[in-house]
Amino acid sequence: MLKANSLTKNFNSNIALNSVSLSVSQGEIYCLLGANGAGKTTLINHFLGFLKPTSGEVLVNGKCVTSNPLDTKRDIAYIPENVMLYGVLTGLENLEYFSALATGRKKPRDVLRKLLADVGLPAEAAERRVATYSKGMRQKVGITIAMAKNAKALLLDEPTSGLDPKAANEFSRLLKTASENGVAVFTTTHDLFHAKETGNRIGIMRSGSLLAEFNSDDVSHADMESIYLKNMRD
Amino acid sequence: MTWLIVTREVREFYRDGRFLFGAGLVAVLFITAFLVGYEQRQNVFSEREVAQQLDYDDWINQPERHPHDAAHQGMHVFKPIPPLSFVDPGITNYVGSTQWLKAHRQTEVKFRPAQDATGLQRFGSLTPAWVIQVLGPLLIIVLGFNSFSGEREQGTLRQLISLGVPSWKLLRGKALALFLGAFLLIAPLLLFSVWAVSGDDLAGSRHDTLIRSGFLVLGYLVYLGIFIFVTLAVSALTATSRISLIVLLAFWIIGTTLAPRALVDVARMVYPIPNQAEFNTQLNQELQREYAEAWQEHFGTDKRWGSDVPLSRWGEALRVDDYAGYDAIDRHFGALWDRYEDQRRLQEFFGLLFPMLSIRSYSMAMSATDFTHHRDFATSAEDHRRLIQDLISSNLTQHADGHGERHFDYKVGKEFWSKVPRFEYAAPAAFFALQGSLNSLGVLLASLLISIAFAFWSSRNLI
Amino acid sequence: MKSFSLILRNEWRIMIADKSLILVCTLLTLLLSYGFFIGLSEAVSRDERVRELVSQQERGQSGIVEQIQRIVSGHEKPDVFANPLNPALVGSGLGSLYAIMHSGALSPLALGQSDLLPDHYRVSTRNKTTFMYQTENESPWNLLTGRFDPVFVLVYLLPLFIFAISYNLLSSEKEQGTLRMQLSHPVTLQTLMFGKLFARLVPVLGVTILAVIVPFLILRGDAVMVSGQLPHLVVAIIIIGAYGFFWFAVTLFVNSFGFSSASNALILVGTWVFLVLVAPVLLNVFVSRMSPAPSRIELATETRLITIDGLNRYHELLSSDYRHIKDSSMLVPSDGKFEVPERLQAFYLINKAVDEKIETLLGDFESRLRAQQDLVERFGFVSPSVLTYEGLVSLAGTGTRRYQDFKQQVNDYHREWKEFFEPRIMSGQIVTVADFEKLPRFTWQEPDVSILLAGSLAKALQIFLATVVLFALGFMRLAKVDVL
Repeated sequence: MLKANSLTKNFNSNIALNSVSLSVSQGEIYCLLGANGAGKTTLINHFLGFLKPTSGEVLVNGKCVTSNPLDTKRDIAYIPENVMLYGVLTGLENLEYFSALATGRKKPRDVLRKLLADVGLPAEAAERRVATYSKGMRQKVGITIAMAKNAKALLLDEPTSGLDPKAANEFSRLLKTASENGVAVFTTTHDLFHAKETGNRIGIMRSGSLLAEFNSDDVSHADMESIYLKNMRD
Repeated sequence: MTWLIVTREVREFYRDGRFLFGAGLVAVLFITAFLVGYEQRQNVFSEREVAQQLDYDDWINQPERHPHDAAHQGMHVFKPIPPLSFVDPGITNYVGSTQWLKAHRQTEVKFRPAQDATGLQRFGSLTPAWVIQVLGPLLIIVLGFNSFSGEREQGTLRQLISLGVPSWKLLRGKALALFLGAFLLIAPLLLFSVWAVSGDDLAGSRHDTLIRSGFLVLGYLVYLGIFIFVTLAVSALTATSRISLIVLLAFWIIGTTLAPRALVDVARMVYPIPNQAEFNTQLNQELQREYAEAWQEHFGTDKRWGSDVPLSRWGEALRVDDYAGYDAIDRHFGALWDRYEDQRRLQEFFGLLFPMLSIRSYSMAMSATDFTHHRDFATSAEDHRRLIQDLISSNLTQHADGHGERHFDYKVGKEFWSKVPRFEYAAPAAFFALQGSLNSLGVLLASLLISIAFAFWSSRNLI
Repeated sequence: MKSFSLILRNEWRIMIADKSLILVCTLLTLLLSYGFFIGLSEAVSRDERVRELVSQQERGQSGIVEQIQRIVSGHEKPDVFANPLNPALVGSGLGSLYAIMHSGALSPLALGQSDLLPDHYRVSTRNKTTFMYQTENESPWNLLTGRFDPVFVLVYLLPLFIFAISYNLLSSEKEQGTLRMQLSHPVTLQTLMFGKLFARLVPVLGVTILAVIVPFLILRGDAVMVSGQLPHLVVAIIIIGAYGFFWFAVTLFVNSFGFSSASNALILVGTWVFLVLVAPVLLNVFVSRMSPAPSRIELATETRLITIDGLNRYHELLSSDYRHIKDSSMLVPSDGKFEVPERLQAFYLINKAVDEKIETLLGDFESRLRAQQDLVERFGFVSPSVLTYEGLVSLAGTGTRRYQDFKQQVNDYHREWKEFFEPRIMSGQIVTVADFEKLPRFTWQEPDVSILLAGSLAKALQIFLATVVLFALGFMRLAKVDVL
């Protein structure tokens, strides 16, 4: 569903991505680990079409992102580290707008209310201005937007950073539900534990290169930590 | 420590290109304005000198004729151009430049240059004064809008305060840095004036011009100072530099564009002015009354120039008629002109909110191009006209009235013509301008004090 | 298109929630209404003044006619210096008529030159310098400042309101982080920006145009209809619309570079300073350089020299005696003739000579000013503000050109007036009651409307062209903008 073929990206003389190849298929949850500046977000930006590859290509559902920027966006949903919404509008209004923008169809408000309730946003909060929301609440609206889109792939940029453990846990559960429905999930994180818990596949990235890739079932927590540290050291 | 702050600020202005770009642009406009104004002044100056000289020569050399006919030829007087008019031409374009001193009636100062220009004139003129008054504050805002708010966003402000730098020292340093920028704007004005005055024999009294330029520069420093402190105060009060920029730009736009025009309406409402037709009707009615009274008193008839007064009393009649009108004319024009001054003074007071309104009239006064100076010229030209009329009517009374029927056969020659003095107008001294500007200068200084207090108050608690 | 209208409606929802749209529209309406109030009250007082002058003039004329009747029937003895039978006196002042240019139906739109240049002259047999330089009683300070008319609000303030509501069109989305959220959905940046732009453009320009049209239709609808100036109003609206579009295109273009909000605000205000404040002033310097007005000093000197010349030439006539004063029977006509004092004939001839001599000089002033106006029109494209100002002012009938046409017509009328009186003065025919009926009267001829409308439309077109170019450039740049 999501595929990068020897993707390289240079910013002037800086190499941000160095011949990265990976793929995420339907129903799979791929966790990309790496320190700040490793190139994780740059990779996501390529899937979103915000950046153009220097060489190589990025495919969504078999279509090249560079040549079909709008088509490919129909199939993906994106949740950034901080879901940013219009502060003066209510959560419901934000959802209404973004989901209509995503699908080209306006959904009835009742349906949207139910979706918000499903991710655990209190009914009362849905009618309040987003400016009064906590980060977790905004994140929930973000997930609802992604779900309302019925996307084939989810892109998440450190979705759990800054969330309290309970919220993070709820979040992981939502991802699992999604993957069970056949959605391909690609998420970046620093959190080894979270990656091990939710991910099927795990990749480790440093300085723009994908150094290791393995199935989470193949390694234990302890193994994973040592692989990670080893890759970070050299 | 203050100098440490100043140098850092100046380095920042310089590095981020704002100063070079903004100040460069302003400087180019400024110099263009100077050159255009200076050249125009030079041209017109010599032309006026020559015309004035020719005019008097023609008067002296006219052939023998009846004095009253000579009064019909009259004399032209040309308003001299004040040395500093190229810095601020003030109302020059909207008042006449030439007065024709003729028999019978006070004549207006004619030929407004604005009448010979297209509607574009109404957008304003490119003059050094305009550049400083309008673009000067903008430059200061551009340089200073993020003085505090920008540092707050970067977090450097917390750091500075945590190092124990008192906020007033920070304010002083930043204000000094901005003053440096303002001075760079004003310095050319100072240099040009000194140059123009010293290298220029047209400039009239050099001493006076120097005093005037000194006060001009002082006024502009106060003006820009107000904007410096307001900018710093707003920057200290607002959370982000975006907001401080928007607030300051709104203040600038309202003060330089909106308020002047809105206050014209206010001034016209508070001090209404009769239109030309009303004014003339009122003046004529009063003149008729005064004339009738005077003629009744002297000649026993209320009919002017009627057949009841013999030609043997024509000279006397001329004098009586002239004097009868002076009082009404002075009263009416005086009242009208006082109204103009009232309107101006009212607008100056609003300089407390919008400094542009007071600096504008202060700058014109110091450049000798405001209405008060124009009025001074018009009055002395009219005095000269009355002098000519007096000389003529007394001459006629003494000599021509004896001719009776053949009154208009009487002629005079060069001997009489040269009794009429040349019109020598000395522009009022700087003290005169200062006297007329007490109001605007007072308002400017008060605004400066208020803005300083405002800046210190708003920076007392920077975090 | 679907996402376009979605974006449009979402923007309205946001701007209604944060009250910015309502604030901008209300302020704009208030300022325009105030401007209209100022423009209308000036126009009304001008019209009243003209009515007052005309009625004064009619009273004066009928007074003179009655006086003539009394003198002819021997009930009254005439005065030497105010004899209504004397053609020299009637022509040079007693019977002078006003030449009046009526204000246009759209004059409340722009005061233009109306506070500076006279809309009426009192024409007499004297030379032009004696009556052509009347001016209004307006404080020079006020003339220098300018007035708060609708054109001021439109040319100066409308762009600022447009900036206020759209300076951070792209940058705010970037700074808030909502841009990434939106662009992760199938929508292009161009659609998004144009949606946001039109969400602002439609209400702001709609309110502006309504605030201009509605007061006109309510308070001056009859005048507009009667004078057939509805097309003028339509063209004025087109110009205003084009000008509004232009400034929206500027904000889009500036936004398309993706700078921060503060930078956008600075760049936009800089553009405003240049196009609205500086460019017109520089253009003015340029046109007065290219076609400088001749020297007024020269005109004054010339007038004086010709007067001297006349005084010398008609020396003998001037020194004639005033027998009339003694012998008032001379003031009464016999056989419709009487002796016009030679002195007055001499003055007539001197004035005529002055007119002839300064004709070329005055003509020079007029042609130079016309040339300046032509240059303004040719180079108006340097700033849409110049085009808008010039266009609206000429549609309002307060532009330089209309006043020049008026002067031209007054010129012809002056000639006609002199031609009427010259034979009477020189051959000593008395002025009769019947003559008063035949006095040449001035009627203002409105210049060709189609030229005015075409010229104004051409201005709107130039603004539109600039707008289209800016939109296109902005559109192209948006494709390349770095969303991050």
